[in-house]
Amino acid sequence: MYENKRLGFMFALPFVLGILFFKLFPFIASFALSLTQYDLIDPPQYVGLENYRELANNDPLFQQSLGVTLWFVILAVPLRVGFALLVAHVLNFKMRGINFFRAAFYIPSILGGSIAVAVLWRFIFAKHGLVNIALIKMGFEPVAWLADEHYSMVTIVLLFTWQFGSSMVIFLAALQNVPTSLYEAAECDGASKTVQFWRITVPLITPVIFFNMIMQMVHAFQEFNGPYMITEGGPLNSTYVLTLYIYDQSFKYFNLGYGAALSWVLFALVGALALISFWSSRYWVFYAGEKDNK
Amino acid sequence: MTAEEENNAKPPLMRYLILGCIAFLMLYPLIWLVGASFKTNSEIFSSAGFWPSKIEFSAYAAGWKTSSEYTFATYFINSFLITIPKIFVTLISCVMVAYAFARFDFYGKKILFGIMVSTMMLPLIILRMPQYLMFREFGWIDTYLPLIIPSAFATDTFFVFMLVQFLRAIPRDMEEAGMIDGCNAFQLLFHIIIPMLKPAIISVIVFQFIWTMNDFMGPLIYLASVENYPVSLALKMSIGATEEVEWRNVIAISVVALIPSIAVFFAAQKHFIEGATSSGVKG
Amino acid sequence: MAQVSLRQIKKTYPNGFTAVHGVDLEIKDGEFMVFVGPSGCAKSTLLRMVAGLEKITGGEMWIGKKKVNDLAPKERGIAMVFQNYALYPHMKVYENLAFGLKLSGISKQEVDQRVRHAAELLEMTHLLDRFPKQLSGGQAQRVAVGRAIVKKPEVFLFDEPLSNLDAKLRASMRVRLTDLHRTLRDSGQAATSIYVTHDQVEAMTMGERICVLKEGRIQQVDTPTALYNRPANAFVASFIGSPEMNLIKTNLHQADGQIKVQLGTTQLALPATHTARLSNNKAADVIFGIRPEHIHFHARSQGDSLPLETTFRFMEHMGAEIFLYVSLGDTPLTVRMPAEEAEALAQLERGAPVQLHIQMSACHLFDGQSELSLLQP
Repeated sequence: MYENKRLGFMFALPFVLGILFFKLFPFIASFALSLTQYDLIDPPQYVGLENYRELANNDPLFQQSLGVTLWFVILAVPLRVGFALLVAHVLNFKMRGINFFRAAFYIPSILGGSIAVAVLWRFIFAKHGLVNIALIKMGFEPVAWLADEHYSMVTIVLLFTWQFGSSMVIFLAALQNVPTSLYEAAECDGASKTVQFWRITVPLITPVIFFNMIMQMVHAFQEFNGPYMITEGGPLNSTYVLTLYIYDQSFKYFNLGYGAALSWVLFALVGALALISFWSSRYWVFYAGEKDNK
Repeated sequence: MTAEEENNAKPPLMRYLILGCIAFLMLYPLIWLVGASFKTNSEIFSSAGFWPSKIEFSAYAAGWKTSSEYTFATYFINSFLITIPKIFVTLISCVMVAYAFARFDFYGKKILFGIMVSTMMLPLIILRMPQYLMFREFGWIDTYLPLIIPSAFATDTFFVFMLVQFLRAIPRDMEEAGMIDGCNAFQLLFHIIIPMLKPAIISVIVFQFIWTMNDFMGPLIYLASVENYPVSLALKMSIGATEEVEWRNVIAISVVALIPSIAVFFAAQKHFIEGATSSGVKG
Repeated sequence: MAQVSLRQIKKTYPNGFTAVHGVDLEIKDGEFMVFVGPSGCAKSTLLRMVAGLEKITGGEMWIGKKKVNDLAPKERGIAMVFQNYALYPHMKVYENLAFGLKLSGISKQEVDQRVRHAAELLEMTHLLDRFPKQLSGGQAQRVAVGRAIVKKPEVFLFDEPLSNLDAKLRASMRVRLTDLHRTLRDSGQAATSIYVTHDQVEAMTMGERICVLKEGRIQQVDTPTALYNRPANAFVASFIGSPEMNLIKTNLHQADGQIKVQLGTTQLALPATHTARLSNNKAADVIFGIRPEHIHFHARSQGDSLPLETTFRFMEHMGAEIFLYVSLGDTPLTVRMPAEEAEALAQLERGAPVQLHIQMSACHLFDGQSELSLLQP
């Protein structure tokens, strides 16, 4: 029955249609759109690569936004993945209450994307918010998190890092797949716990590290709710990530052609980084995989 | 255990301590949020402690009523009007498609699978505007259709992927027995495969529920009238005007907004995490 | 000097379960000692306590002149070969062998020398550049052994290393390991070895001395021959030797100055040698033991072959011998005889009577309660 290609195709049909209508067609359309000037009222006007030239040469806001986005990704992704790995490692031993901790770390990652939490975040970093109250109690000076362009990035980076639970759970599963006898052999070889972590644990979970890194990088580039609700891209555009810029151009100012061009730049950026990551993975990712012997 | 056993004498204390600290720091904002919803405005801005000096329920009532013409009852109903149908169609389409990829051979299978994996990795904001224009042509603006219909076509590739991985790990024995018994594909799917997929299906339900309840950009783009707003937009509205924000009310309603997600999560905890990891580990 | 000394070694887990009950054992320098026993007898636990992978909750462990109870595995001078090889999948064979050496700061030259020497010894020089997943089971196990050799340990520890191999491979690896041990010892290197297995054939063929364990207690420590011929109790008697020794719960009767043992409906007299060795233990309640090869079809001319009426069940043809299965009343008996005798038995049908002869001078007697051997040497 499973060799019946027509039957198989029928089951896959929703997906095929979905890809065509909701992914492929919009994909091509967005590129076409990026070559036009369109404001929803008058018909679209073909302008060739004008939009791209504009954002490359004439748009300081784009430069700013690009810089902010890259800076955000560089800070937030390693923090999130690193934290996830570390906590998973600490969590990885026979202990009572592992379920409690796992849930405790996981909850932020599922609630974190909500507006409710963004609202909360905005509140606790406010001038008289929880964070400053705590700082004062500990004898430090309060910080104008949301008003100072040097600190605003911290708030959204922290929100992103706070959601490390989903990555952690994946790391935990991977860590538990490493056979204990390898650690015992390493112990007999005289490897300290640190050496065991860096020379045995980490190399063996590189596929998972790679997976998490790529997924989190993509998520980071698409981060919208946080910057939108907490800092609204400010102050002084210090947290004006590309997604905000694209949103503003497309849905606020109805500068559709330009918005499309911007989104293509973002797309190309992520695509390029993903390709580079995949290429580099040959050198540092080790797949234990199946035996290919005899 | 083994050498771990040795460590169980000393460092577990260290580990518990570290884990405890991190868990506390992580969860305290949420816990504080709950406590703050019962405090007075002045207290919220002055104490970092959890307990309110006097428990006030008024924030909940006021927040619920909101300063708009609708209460949160409307907004919650709207959220559910989006979420429930979406989960329904997601399950149907994703299970069917995952079944196809995991078991069948069909034209273009490899290419389609490649497309599926790559769409998981690329920013989807690029598709927003064209999709908007398309739905505008259909006349679906200010309805829930743009939010629900795409899921009926298995566009949530994460779920398809997760279900495929899960299915691949299940041996075909029972299906083969079913085939010998004369089942057709739909019967196999319904009577044999779906029961085996239960943990993964529960994960899909939980994830889709929480993500849809949290969805902000979608409703933001497609919904124009306030009476159609789900909770996520309503929350944003309550912060709308910058200066005079009744923080107590906003906080109270944020707490309420989070309750359905937390409830669903705990109700399915066991299955949830199993499903989440099964898709990610085998590299 | 690399003797291993276990003094009153105990292992009790936090939940109160005691796995090892006060074990005393002296392993000589250079000796190949085998720990054998059924699952659950704590042989692996004991090995791991020597290694330092399990904490010792009671007693003292000495390796050479050092008390090692609180020492980490690395500091004890041991090397371990694991059942599932435990090779580092992300390192090539060369690296697997060199890993531990590099950690202890040995010079690159010395490391290279040791690795290549071990590779030669185990005939795996051509494998040095491969990854573990490219190796067959036997090759992987050799690498695991190589990893132990390069460390030049005081004591080698083997944790059921051959269990994951198929039968044929097991046989050839057995020979290779024994050979290796003798080679190392003859070349003056420390080669004290403790080898854990559940397979009594491995134990008997490889061990210079064997320690039989049951439920965390030593049953007997002796050479293979001694264990086979003079088992200290019924457990050792049935565990060692394949097919198993026939054990029959029965009674002794004393009459006319002779001691007779009840077998089925017959009473067979014990030879004078046995009667003399039967200490002052007047136990009437005994377990009678006779190995399958000491039951014959024809009477031997020694005069101590006494006849026994049994019922035929079936035969297994093993090539050079046959295994004959009979019943003595309700008790099954296994007999081992040369293939030539098969002809005489070929006509027999299931249930037919057949007379066999018991070589009484080779029989064993164990106390019916304590199961300890009643025959003092």
